[in-house]
Amino acid sequence: MTDTIELIDKVLSDLKTAGGVEACAAVSRDGLLIRSSLHKEQFAESFAAMSATMLGAAETASIELGKGVPNRVIVESSQGRLIAVGAGRKALLVVIVNQDAGLGLVLLELDKAALSLKELLE
Amino acid sequence: MIETGIPKLDEFLGGGIPKGKSLVYYIQPGVEGEIFGLQTIYNSLKKGGRGVFVVSSTIPEIIKGQFREFGWDIDQFKDKFFFVDAYNSLIGAPSNEKFVVSNPDNIEAFSKVIMNALKELPPSTIVFGSLSTIIDLCGEKETINAVKSWNKTAKVYDHVMVYNFTAWPYSEETLKAIKDELFNAVISVGGIAERVIFGQYFGIFKADWTNENKKSMLFRVLRPGGIRLYIPKILVTGPFDSGKSTFVHALSTRAISVDRLGTTIALDHGHIDYKGFSADIFGTPGQERFDPIIKLLSGESMGVFLIVDSTNPTDFIRAKQMLEITKSYGLPYVIIANKQDLPGALASEEIRIQFNLPSDVPIVPVVAKDKKGIFEAFEVLIDKITGGI
Repeated sequence: MTDTIELIDKVLSDLKTAGGVEACAAVSRDGLLIRSSLHKEQFAESFAAMSATMLGAAETASIELGKGVPNRVIVESSQGRLIAVGAGRKALLVVIVNQDAGLGLVLLELDKAALSLKELLE
Repeated sequence: MIETGIPKLDEFLGGGIPKGKSLVYYIQPGVEGEIFGLQTIYNSLKKGGRGVFVVSSTIPEIIKGQFREFGWDIDQFKDKFFFVDAYNSLIGAPSNEKFVVSNPDNIEAFSKVIMNALKELPPSTIVFGSLSTIIDLCGEKETINAVKSWNKTAKVYDHVMVYNFTAWPYSEETLKAIKDELFNAVISVGGIAERVIFGQYFGIFKADWTNENKKSMLFRVLRPGGIRLYIPKILVTGPFDSGKSTFVHALSTRAISVDRLGTTIALDHGHIDYKGFSADIFGTPGQERFDPIIKLLSGESMGVFLIVDSTNPTDFIRAKQMLEITKSYGLPYVIIANKQDLPGALASEEIRIQFNLPSDVPIVPVVAKDKKGIFEAFEVLIDKITGGI
């Protein structure tokens, strides 16, 4: 078990080195925090629950409308972006990036990390 | 009898550890287990007992720092608390402690100091910070024989012996001796990675003074605070406008909600820290159009609060349906009969009849907006959860 946790931490810390990434978290589909790079665990837990709801609601809406499973959810605000992607059946990955971050690179790194996370949990 | 101060563990042990008995915390590598010994000695000191802490993996100052990190002031126990310093001599540093082992890598020298302490001191709680370090320094067979005679002596002098042991890959013989023969009680402390819950648990492997109770509990370690039993998810569900969000907020130390026009549209999330328990609470929306979200969020719950509006029996059908949607059948659940302050509110037993509920399902009368009955309800559910694992 410690091995899996260490590997998940490695995936998250690699992701965090991508330009502009402020924080990231691995979250279970049902809203429980798996691991995060947020310092305050209390915030991370609420953040995890909200992100899972957001992605879940987006997926439900998109599928119901016949548009298939969405690739990701991007929330844009004047201070930055929050991006959530699915990582297999069990988990999702969320990052917070600042407004200067190059979106293309972050998405590339995020998809790569999501794939690693998926493989770790299955 | 001394109490360990670790929530639920004393209860599982039939009150605590009796005088003259020995107990080992058998810790999987990689798990935060050392705190078990610390919390045990701090609690027995706080209850007026005496204590000795055997330090063999670091200097006593670091251990004092760890106590402080948990918010435990040990300086107040001046003449009742001693260290056995079995570390400073290893690095050639002087020691200020009452008992010093001058050759910590020689089991006879070690044993002599321990035996002296056991014979000299009035009945105390003696905690070994790291039995594994002693084994590493002195050898497996040698240490086991020494522990045998320490425990024997402790029995005569009415000491309580507590050991932290990290289960590194020692010989099978050694691990078996530690699990089965050396101690009166073995508490296993380990980690799980079941589905997506990554957590730490403790459970009683054996305890010869009480009926064997093989329950185990998830825990997390708070600084300050120490060991808290951890319940990763409690679900709060129920029909529209029954008071779920109010209940989540009333119960939580802190909580957030996603609501628009006064009704929850995504979820409520709250966190509660109460009587040694740490739990996260997920509140679902109530309206049928949000059912897909409810399904999404209800996985992995360990218990459910089903909130009903006691003045509105027509909603009871929907309430039952929500137990089904959240796949909560089989999980421990408690019915919260909310809005008891309103005229026409049904009493618990009337609700039981209307609902057609079996008599073992608890129904707790509550006024969520005034925080009336909510902590009673929490305790009832916790009892059901901890009784059922």
